[in-house]
Amino acid sequence: MIFGYLDPGSGSLILQALLGGIAGIGVAYKAWKHKRMTKRLVKDGADPDASVDDSPVTAES
Amino acid sequence: MTAADPGSFRDPASRVLIDADRVIRVLDQRGLNAWKALADSRFFANAVADGHLIAATDLADPPEGGAGALEHPRVPLITYPYEWTFSMLKDAALLQLDLLAKALDDGLTIKDATPFNIQFVEGRPLFIDIGSFEPYRDGEPWIGYRQFTRQFLFPLMMRAWLDVPFQPWLRGDMEGPTASHMRSLLPRSKRSKPSVLGHVGLQARMEERLAGESVRDDLQQAGFNAAIILTNVEKLQGLISSLTWEPRTDGWAAYESCTHVGRDRETKAGFLRHAMSRQRPERVLDLGANDAYFSEIASDGGAYAIAVDSDEPILERVYKQSVGKSLSIVLSELGNPSPAQGWSGVERPSLFARADANLVIAYGLIHHLIYTASIPPALVVEWLRRFDCPVVVEFVAPDDEMVKTLTSNKHEDELHPGRDEGAFRNLLAASFNIVSERNLGSGSRVLFELVPV
Repeated sequence: MIFGYLDPGSGSLILQALLGGIAGIGVAYKAWKHKRMTKRLVKDGADPDASVDDSPVTAES
Repeated sequence: MTAADPGSFRDPASRVLIDADRVIRVLDQRGLNAWKALADSRFFANAVADGHLIAATDLADPPEGGAGALEHPRVPLITYPYEWTFSMLKDAALLQLDLLAKALDDGLTIKDATPFNIQFVEGRPLFIDIGSFEPYRDGEPWIGYRQFTRQFLFPLMMRAWLDVPFQPWLRGDMEGPTASHMRSLLPRSKRSKPSVLGHVGLQARMEERLAGESVRDDLQQAGFNAAIILTNVEKLQGLISSLTWEPRTDGWAAYESCTHVGRDRETKAGFLRHAMSRQRPERVLDLGANDAYFSEIASDGGAYAIAVDSDEPILERVYKQSVGKSLSIVLSELGNPSPAQGWSGVERPSLFARADANLVIAYGLIHHLIYTASIPPALVVEWLRRFDCPVVVEFVAPDDEMVKTLTSNKHEDELHPGRDEGAFRNLLAASFNIVSERNLGSGSRVLFELVPV
């Protein structure tokens, strides 16, 4: 992944999903869940991505 | 001689060089790839044709080891958001959102959201940072969202809802107020509006709670997409459009009702026209421009005019009538003009490092500096001399009606000495030759056309 030179702010990144309509709220919820699960699995020493449902939420969902 | 633009260094993919009158953008490989994607898009051709995006042409031999290089037309005057009126920042905000929406529709995005990427040319906002565009990558959020709220949305809210000028804040902190600042500033009735709740209260809370957390991968995994950004952008367009500012006092009307303005205006206009015919300036700096009447005379006479004044209500009116004119508007207090600031103290040059001119107009100005700002007359003349070009100046004697108003609560011994016409002529003699002069009808005002000694 290429990172920009600008610090976008972690809270502001999640927030803009919440502000992006119903589809965005779904994405924000999944991202939040992913974040929490990743943290827990990292803490437990497991592979985080192996246990997280990462099917995308589309704009139409 | 080629010099790096002191304000172009944050993005490693793209930096600007100034070579005499040429503006050259040097790109690294990432920047070149992004430029190719932009140049091939319908969006780019349409935005340039509409006058919303600066033109760019490829250069065959990139300087300084760049992977690619572009040349842009030169913008007549670089101004900063703390020198803009409310409507200028609002129009710039709407341009930023409009370009982002159209870019996303064409598979591109804008990686930042700062008003420093927008300039005003002939009364319209123009996006000048081609390096801000890059292909949109699936799953990426709008990286510039927080910056947009801090540098566009929150300053506009401050003026529209609190009647607090945003310029001093942006001049003091060019990053702009944070969501947390706005939560403290806005009354609960404004903060709890559904259209505002997220941008202010929720953003402040989430920024506090998630500071330092990595979330971009989480958003990508969760299926973030461009449609979500577009929904947010559309809502922001509605919110920004709804923000208005009606000045409490109409400086324009007050100025036009002054006796000396109507009485002397055409005499001063004629004096300026004669000076212009002799000096033939390409750029005219109108200090204390007020309604820009004399700036427009300079502009009509073939020069590029820069109108500087500290009265925002008046400059709002000037801005709205400036479309198509060779005129730049700068909101700045001449007793405290915009300084050089930013990284290393040079990133954003001072107003007068940018606003160079071949002729300076100082009509109806120096008595405000001497009597209101308490600048000694000798320092005022030294300041005019530093522009190093011809000056048209209006001297206002101590017995003038306006001076009496300005000094109504000051005692004689509280004022600087050397304020009469004889003393002023002595000061001029050390720095300027008087090319022509004319007494105005009041008997207390004299116009001088000066050239540096």
